[in-house]
Amino acid sequence: MAAPVFPATVSKLDNGLTFIHQYLPTTPVVVADVWLKAGAQREPENWSGMAHFLEHMIFKGTATLPPGAFDREIENRGGMTNAATSHDYAHYFLITAVPYLEETLPHLAELLLNAAIPESEFALEREVVLEEIRQAYDDPDWLGNQALCESVYPCHPYGRSVLGTEQELMQQSPEAMRCFHRAHYQPENMTVVIVGGIDLEPAMELVNQTFQQFQQRSCCPPPAATGATLNALPKAAPANRPLQPRSSENLLPFPSGIRRQELYLPRIEQARLLMAWRGPGVEQISSAYGLDLLSVILAHGRSSRLVWELREEQQLVQAINCDFLLQRESSLFTISAWLEPQHLEQVESLISKYLENLQNTPVLPGELSRCQRLLCNDYAFSMETPNQMASLYGYYNTLATAELAVLYPQRIQSFQSEHLQCLAQQYLSPQDYVVTILKPC
Amino acid sequence: MTTDNRQIDTLLLPNQTIKRTVLDNGIVVLVAENLAADIIATRIFVRAGSCWDGMQSGLAHLLSAVLTKGTVQLSSWEIAEQVESVGAHLSADAAADYFLLSLKTVSADFAEILALAGQLLRSPTFPEIEVELEQRLALQDIRSQQEQPLTIAFEQLRQAIYKNHPYASSGLGYEATVSQLGRNDLQRHHQTYFRPDNLVISIAGRVTTIDAVTLVEQVFGDWQISETPLPTLTLPPLGVQPEQRITSQNTQQSIVMLGYLAPSAQDADYAALKLLANYLGNGLSSRLFVELREKRGLAYEVSAFYPTRQAPANFVVYMGTAPENTVIALLGLQTEVELLCSEKLSEATLQAAKNKLLGQYALSKQTNAQIAQLFGWYETLGLGVTFDTHFQQEIMSLTAAQLQQAACQYLLKPYVSVVGPEAAVNLTLETSRN
Repeated sequence: MAAPVFPATVSKLDNGLTFIHQYLPTTPVVVADVWLKAGAQREPENWSGMAHFLEHMIFKGTATLPPGAFDREIENRGGMTNAATSHDYAHYFLITAVPYLEETLPHLAELLLNAAIPESEFALEREVVLEEIRQAYDDPDWLGNQALCESVYPCHPYGRSVLGTEQELMQQSPEAMRCFHRAHYQPENMTVVIVGGIDLEPAMELVNQTFQQFQQRSCCPPPAATGATLNALPKAAPANRPLQPRSSENLLPFPSGIRRQELYLPRIEQARLLMAWRGPGVEQISSAYGLDLLSVILAHGRSSRLVWELREEQQLVQAINCDFLLQRESSLFTISAWLEPQHLEQVESLISKYLENLQNTPVLPGELSRCQRLLCNDYAFSMETPNQMASLYGYYNTLATAELAVLYPQRIQSFQSEHLQCLAQQYLSPQDYVVTILKPC
Repeated sequence: MTTDNRQIDTLLLPNQTIKRTVLDNGIVVLVAENLAADIIATRIFVRAGSCWDGMQSGLAHLLSAVLTKGTVQLSSWEIAEQVESVGAHLSADAAADYFLLSLKTVSADFAEILALAGQLLRSPTFPEIEVELEQRLALQDIRSQQEQPLTIAFEQLRQAIYKNHPYASSGLGYEATVSQLGRNDLQRHHQTYFRPDNLVISIAGRVTTIDAVTLVEQVFGDWQISETPLPTLTLPPLGVQPEQRITSQNTQQSIVMLGYLAPSAQDADYAALKLLANYLGNGLSSRLFVELREKRGLAYEVSAFYPTRQAPANFVVYMGTAPENTVIALLGLQTEVELLCSEKLSEATLQAAKNKLLGQYALSKQTNAQIAQLFGWYETLGLGVTFDTHFQQEIMSLTAAQLQQAACQYLLKPYVSVVGPEAAVNLTLETSRN
């Protein structure tokens, strides 16, 4: 099978910024999506929540752009804008009719490059972030997942909440945030993606003109986890032989044995069983995709193994999901079930049996091709609009390289049953995992 | 930076051309040809949403859960296998105003999955064991709704506004009604409402109108109209008797919600209320977002919504806030809504609001699924596919005086719903201007 042609153009500007562009002649819409390697993973020790809080503060303007002015400019022209922060990235996008890109993109660049982070707005917006945290704390599924991540990544920023904690946020200052901004919102960390009804040349010129005046770099305390941790991945370690930790590494080896925690929550009507395994990071993207495929085999759709057995046949769960989250340094494989507390033990041990089965018996060709087709179609369904495309390119370029974005279907199609069996043996041990249980109290 | 409030030149996307065909048996077929991607999305609407549940609240929802779990020819496993082996999406849902079967496939699989949809709609068997399973899960879903403060707040608001009207229910129904449902109820409901003259099939994607209509003919063409006339839906009349409902529980945030009884989509005031809701609570430059979040830091989530409905819809503004701000939030929301009646919007503000709404509206019609959904929905509600253009024209022609008048008519007497810690929510009882 020939490698698919990457339909977008990737260029590096003189200042080191990556520019990705794709012209879609039939759409009157254009999307600009700016991705930054400036997620929560870059936060120094005790700065938890800074990256996300900064994302809020970016919209509070610059010396020439008062707070809220940007939002008004975009929306008054019928466009949309928003932003999101995760561990590996922060990104900011605008969607607008083609003719308005020229007048709106410079404002987005101005916000990102010259964020003023005004003192008075800082305290006010922190209240908004604290509301966001309170809202999350009222969501039992958020609490469960957060507890699970802390248990999977006890010494790595992936274990911390992107939102941060009230205690740490209260200790932060606008100066510290400016320092974080100046350290990370720099061209070499930035990918500007433009997809839609605009040609390469005018788009490139626009980006060249607008993403020019970056702030003077400041040094900021180093991230709690540095790039060095990439080496600390549990590489091809046999399931029951834990890697020895090296002192400089934050991704400690995955626990051997079962790391269990139980939380009792008021106001929940059902228990949750959350099980997790750590997978490889983007450096081993093929293995990561294999885990993605295994998650579909286990619990994607009614005919998948766990849904059929546990929801339909044995009727032990309200719902069961299996999720695969690709992250730069270490991916996360989770199985979540909503169920009555009395079924917790039985379901956990049945799930372990299914994992054992994946390790011992190759997946049948029919089942494999069904799951491959499912993922490939889902991929096609997720590339329908310019904003979906821009977002995928930006995401991959921030984690690895943009070109990877279009290789996904081919990589998924290339898996054989034996590969998957190996991956299950390597990463999904029924003896070594993290489990978080929520019970009503 | 200049503040530029001119009318946007063109809508972001050209208005879709929708071909409407009525088959001999009464099925309305809508097709939007869209070659952009190798995808076909189909939405099949049946006028049998939870409004038609009668005293059996939760009936349409349960029917949607069991519909895909057995036909005369296929078992639950075979159905799932057929859909998933081609990587298609197929799901059934019950909204208040319609029952919906949604399909999404790559173009090559369209015919096969449409044929399967035909079987599901025409000859479901509602196996006893599946009814029992889905009924048990539905009862648990009803209980699980109590986990989310926002859901509790909206639930009690709807109860206050709608009382014995079906819009009072989330659609899941109640423990008392769902536990009484059985296979016979599903069969009877299916027999009564699932008939070709009660169906709208809306298709968008890489398919020609001729091919799409021919396929629909093949699958549904020989479905006979029952001789029994379709029962007419009668809904209880609604009056406005504002009240306050409070649930106290030990949460991190209080949810404060104001609701108003507002017009149906058929009403002349619909566009005005849509624009008011959008101006108040959609987007980062919306009034509530700027006043209550940006300037006062009172909330993370603050929003307004006013759904498109065949019967009078609720107009809701809400926010989540720290318990100590509960009363301030309530007064803040109330003040902002009252301002719409006491002060006329400036021309610049009006134009900005229109641009924002029309832009968001255009952007909400990008994917095939969105296109199929929107036009099918308009057709099902009796608004017709031309409502898409009509609505946009209505928005453009609205004046500030019309908006003010609509606000004064509908948005002065709120129903109030509050959920939060006891001490905080009790204070609202004393301070509400209600």
